[in-house]
Amino acid sequence: MSKPKLATVWLEACAGCHMSFLDIDERIVELLDKVEVTATPITDFKEIPQVDIGVIDGAIGNEEELHIAKELRKKAKIIVAWGDCAVFGGINTMRNFMPASEVLEGGYIHTASTVNPDGVIPKGEVPALLPKAIPADNVVKVDVYVPGCPPDADTILYVFQELLEGRMPKIPSDMMRYD
Amino acid sequence: MKEIILNFDGKECKGILGDTILEVAQKNDVYIPTLCYLKGLSPIGACRMCVVEVEKNPKLLTSCTTPAVDGMVVHTKSEKLNKYRKQILELLFAGRNHFCMYCSQSGDCELQRLAIEHGMDSVRYPYLYAPFENDATHPDLMMDHNRCVLCLRCIRVCAEKVGAHTLDLQKRGWAATVCADLGQKLGESSTCVSCGACAQVCPTGTITIRELAYRGRRKDCDDIVESVCPLCSVGCKIKAYVRTGSIARVEGTGTESPDGGQLCHMGRWWLPESTERDRVAVPMIREGAHFREASWDEALSLIAEKLGPAAKQGKAGALVSSLCTDEELSIFSAFYRDALKLEIDTFDGDILRGFVKGFEPFRVQGVRPFTGAHNILESDLVVNLCADPQDEAPVVASYVRVAVLRNNAKLIFAGDSTDPFDGLTDVSVRLDGTCKRTEFLKSLTACLVSLAESKVELNGLTAMDSYAKALEEFAEVGKISLETAEEIVKLIASAEKPVFVLGKGLAKNSEVVAAAGDLAIAARAFFADGLGLVPLLSSGNSLGAVNTCVADQPWLRTKELDFLYVYSTGMIPEDEDSLAAISRSGFSVIQTPYLVRPLVNLADVLLPAPAWFERSGHFCTIEGERRRLNVIVPPQANLKGLSSVFDAIAKDLGIRVERPETAPCEEFFVSKVSPELAKMAAL
Repeated sequence: MSKPKLATVWLEACAGCHMSFLDIDERIVELLDKVEVTATPITDFKEIPQVDIGVIDGAIGNEEELHIAKELRKKAKIIVAWGDCAVFGGINTMRNFMPASEVLEGGYIHTASTVNPDGVIPKGEVPALLPKAIPADNVVKVDVYVPGCPPDADTILYVFQELLEGRMPKIPSDMMRYD
Repeated sequence: MKEIILNFDGKECKGILGDTILEVAQKNDVYIPTLCYLKGLSPIGACRMCVVEVEKNPKLLTSCTTPAVDGMVVHTKSEKLNKYRKQILELLFAGRNHFCMYCSQSGDCELQRLAIEHGMDSVRYPYLYAPFENDATHPDLMMDHNRCVLCLRCIRVCAEKVGAHTLDLQKRGWAATVCADLGQKLGESSTCVSCGACAQVCPTGTITIRELAYRGRRKDCDDIVESVCPLCSVGCKIKAYVRTGSIARVEGTGTESPDGGQLCHMGRWWLPESTERDRVAVPMIREGAHFREASWDEALSLIAEKLGPAAKQGKAGALVSSLCTDEELSIFSAFYRDALKLEIDTFDGDILRGFVKGFEPFRVQGVRPFTGAHNILESDLVVNLCADPQDEAPVVASYVRVAVLRNNAKLIFAGDSTDPFDGLTDVSVRLDGTCKRTEFLKSLTACLVSLAESKVELNGLTAMDSYAKALEEFAEVGKISLETAEEIVKLIASAEKPVFVLGKGLAKNSEVVAAAGDLAIAARAFFADGLGLVPLLSSGNSLGAVNTCVADQPWLRTKELDFLYVYSTGMIPEDEDSLAAISRSGFSVIQTPYLVRPLVNLADVLLPAPAWFERSGHFCTIEGERRRLNVIVPPQANLKGLSSVFDAIAKDLGIRVERPETAPCEEFFVSKVSPELAKMAAL
């Protein structure tokens, strides 16, 4: 029997959750014996293959992220939401208190470090912002939630181990964190 | 008290008729999750986390507000309850902007703890992302409405315990926010006393103490030590949170105690700050305009060398702080008073002498001349005589406000200055000299005495005449109308349990204190523990100082001194008179934990002392309790205990000092006779 396949995507978030995943340290070797890692932010896959486990790290904030989340949902049997951004929206939701246009103006024109005398805001070259940054489960069905900013390495490993054993994990209270 | 028996999840639990379901559960260690409930505050059933199932009742009941009934069968844990509780938590998270990753209370937050406990791994409801304000107008507190769960603990503690009624709720539904006064910002409030009780009870990161963002959360702390606040005579019990060798935060001990677990701005902010102040680290000896470091041996030999001749001529003395513990004061007393036959006094000696002498006529009768400050809460009439409790002992001010606003007690003010409870007071008399002279109190007492006599039928009519005369005299003395005079007399005469709060201004004349005692007797101000007087003495262990160190007569200002030993705790600024006396003295030894100026500038020898949090011992408080001060942080190196300091000096002087027995301060003012039997001092 071939090894189950895993894909992870990095949407609107910092790299913290993936860093925390790498913090499982040498245990990753053992994990790789049991699972085949396909598309990840560091393997640069252009297409997400059919996988058993698809991990979403990050909130959904623009058209591209929305597309990727939906693609992953189509390709993956089980979707895991990693981290506060994917689960609750996280720090990205700070922009939800203003219209998306204001966010772009802030980012491309008004920021102190920006030189943009013509006030150009890119259109087409970068994906359009959604009106609000939202948790992953607002656009796709999520099977396993792993809150935490970031979740502990042990928690991430626990989720994989449970999934590989064929169980659908619920994060126990002693592992759950929101910060 | 009728005992009732309930069944919680199959366990038989005993309670008392009148308990709520939650109270019975807590008495029996049955856990029910709560959020808006806080022991000591009136339960409001707002958050509905504490819902339980009661058999034969189709609805879920909030256990914090539902009275327990004998025979109730209660289920506290079930799939259904968990579902509802989790739903409530998800709604709270979706309704406001709770983001743990950038909240200073993450880890201390009760909302977070409950959500984790209930396995809230996602929120099924769309977030509202409604913009709420972060009110940062107060210099010490922050109020971030984004994190509010509308539990109203802050509003309740402010009203029920502090009596300030600063906080209230404005708007409705999800838009509701806690506001100060009538919709003002917290920093603009005219009623806020900055006690920080709201921040202590806030379950989330809504009301926070700014400093704690860097001092650390409760969960970051290594230890919690119970001790006593030394800063005023109330001696509030405190919980000090220790983090890496310093006090990160100080909190009151619990809303269920009479003081409601409150502290004032001094305890809340000054105590933790005191761990960061500049310390006197080593003994230092003055050389010209400078100090040089010295060893303890050298410093103590020099002290002995100067003290010896000065003591022989009777030109030496000691001035100590009444923030010292009973044990420390006893050491001073044993060395200076008993062994060297020298004078000793405290910084607040004049105030204490005034009270002690005024109380003497009652003390000798075996009557305890005062009552625990918290008994103000039991009183139906508070008479404020020359006191500004918010300044002198802020928690007493809370008692007065709560007595008036919640318990409907009446409030009378008489004093020289403006009425500190203006707006709450029923009758206010402001008259120059009221606090220094006895006429006002004596004429008021005379009114009460003759009024009482007029009720005895035999001499009713003649007594009525003398009452009328007394009333006229009282009105004249007080420069008030006859109606006001009569109102005051009637308020006092009709009160069941009046209490008299005595400001320290009163103590300038001990006869006024005695007159206040007579007034209390005439007003039948009798409490179980003593006469209904609450003297606002100045510091943590003023009562203990009365017992050990306070001189019978003032001497410091008049005596020419060649040697003065000063022990300051550095927590209260020294008064000008004391500083003047220190600078006049020929040779001053100053022992203090902190580099307090100008005090340390006056030293010839400067000795380090342990700070309040490095000492242990006992305080006698005006709450009527002997309370223990505990070592919160171990003393710094190079500190010497007081007894070894004085042993070394005594050895150099070639004298013997008896080991002092710590005189328990409460024995000085012990209640041997019921206050109802007290006789007036003037009789």
